[in-house]
Amino acid sequence: MTRTDLRPVAAPSRPARSLVALSIGAAVVAALFVIDAVAPTLFPASLPTRAQDGLTLAISVLIESMPFVALGVVLSIVVQVWVPPGVIERWMPRRAWARRAVLSLLGMVVPVCECGNVPFARGLLMRGFSVPETMTFLIAAPIVNPIVIITTHQAFGFSDGILIARLVGGYLIANLIGWLYSRHPSPNGLLTERFRDTCALVVHEPGGRGRRSLAQFVIELRAVMPALVIGSALAGAVQVLIPREALVAIGSNPALSIVAMMALAMVVAICSNVDSFFALSFASTFTPGAIVAFLLVGPLVDVKMLALMRTTFTTRTLAGIVVVVLLSAFAIGTVVNLLA
Amino acid sequence: MRRAEWIGTRWLGVGLAAILAVVTLGLAVTGRLALYINPDSTWFAVSMSVVVLVGAAASFMLPLGAEADHGHDHPVVERAQRDETPAPTRAYPVVERAQRDETPAHPHHHPRHPAAVAASVVGGVAASGVVVLTLVLPPASLSAELAMSRDVGATPLFAGADAVTLAATGDTSSFGVGEWATVFATATNPDAFDGDPIELTGFVTPGEGGDFDLTRLVVTHCVIDAQPASVPVAGEPIPETGQWVTVTGTVRATSDGRLEIDAASVAEIPEPKDPYEY
Repeated sequence: MTRTDLRPVAAPSRPARSLVALSIGAAVVAALFVIDAVAPTLFPASLPTRAQDGLTLAISVLIESMPFVALGVVLSIVVQVWVPPGVIERWMPRRAWARRAVLSLLGMVVPVCECGNVPFARGLLMRGFSVPETMTFLIAAPIVNPIVIITTHQAFGFSDGILIARLVGGYLIANLIGWLYSRHPSPNGLLTERFRDTCALVVHEPGGRGRRSLAQFVIELRAVMPALVIGSALAGAVQVLIPREALVAIGSNPALSIVAMMALAMVVAICSNVDSFFALSFASTFTPGAIVAFLLVGPLVDVKMLALMRTTFTTRTLAGIVVVVLLSAFAIGTVVNLLA
Repeated sequence: MRRAEWIGTRWLGVGLAAILAVVTLGLAVTGRLALYINPDSTWFAVSMSVVVLVGAAASFMLPLGAEADHGHDHPVVERAQRDETPAPTRAYPVVERAQRDETPAHPHHHPRHPAAVAASVVGGVAASGVVVLTLVLPPASLSAELAMSRDVGATPLFAGADAVTLAATGDTSSFGVGEWATVFATATNPDAFDGDPIELTGFVTPGEGGDFDLTRLVVTHCVIDAQPASVPVAGEPIPETGQWVTVTGTVRATSDGRLEIDAASVAEIPEPKDPYEY
């Protein structure tokens, strides 16, 4: 609290004012509960079936991913505000490639799935990790993490090398992207202007840890929530608009099936910890390589993730990432098809 | 103008998150959260929603605009410096730190491009629209049409081989449409199941083998991964597509080696409170 004392203006009524503000906040939350309870009786459902289905799907993704995003924001606050400088950095190797190799395994210990990774990665960036390092973490973590390994194993076991190809493939793609962008002359140019402003702000945020945590909470939610909502709405809309048969029809051709499954992965936007069960139902009609490509592309660059990542990276950067991921996944899928 | 921007920041961040948290808790309290996500993850959704709401209430203690208040020295990276991309001399791992420290320390607000402002306004309005609809509309389950459009001909193997092993031992009392669909699709010895009594609830979709299919959406994690599972039913009368029914009868092995349900009764029922299987 010593830092607060240094502030030039020390209002004596501060605790009282905080209490009033907190009560107002609680009252607003209570009002939301009342609206939630009362409003549905005033607006009986009258949306057309398709629109309703799209909305239902979007809401389900939102309700499913919101807790992870909240967890990601909390971890981002911890990394940014509460972990003293140098504590993480001390454990990191010096060489750039080795740092990236370690960071791409960070997903094994940080319990957030793909949606929560974005705020967490922003926290890493604000802490001073370089752009390519953070990218490596962001791309690797949705695949190289314990929950995904367990569910993929449950779904496929070791058959056709799908599990191994997914893990090794995810790790390699992440490090490939990290390496490619580490050669970029100006890594900061990969970030959106808005995010760079935010970085500059939070590093110099005045006040004690509590206040900085609250500020970070506000800033991170502002950055991530609209993207999450729009990404989920897109995922819902795409599901009711693009007939699934259209993608599945191109099924069993070795090359085309990989392309079809990658397209499917990008539009269905399923969390990486359950997508293997979804993919399992396609295992009988599609080639193993296509399944691997699906499992690699979905967690990294589906519509929801792209909307979330756009909060931090420029469109140009995202286009680069998408191209690298798609080409690598296609290559890995082809290799699996040749070996299997 | 700045004030409007600050309020926008609060609304689009904490506001949207708080509404979703309230909707989540509201559904959980009324026992309808299963309309959207697998009940196994209810505890996580509920506890994180509480965290969001506590944070949302606490955020009122932070004066409006304080999150954008850079205090006394706020080195926003200079525009010129950003646009000149080269600067290859900077040490790599600490690029950002170095850049920050180099920059002059005085307040500097550069105007954002009008297109960027327009894009964030449109995005903000769209996101707000979706979230407000979430708040004011009653929850709904997916339609039968959607279930049919998701049926790609391949039977999802939800339970894996376990279901078939379990079914072969005779304990099928807890089986839903999902498990039976797996058994029907994978059983190597159909006669083993012939005569098993069955009582299943689902909705009606047009059948390929039997008179109609009894279908249910099976959810692994959340409704977006819902996949249809269906079993063929032989029986009268054939209800309308989309109608929820409870079918009572027995499993029967047909002459061509497939399994179907021989319905003793087909009772029309209203949509159950838990329309999905998990």
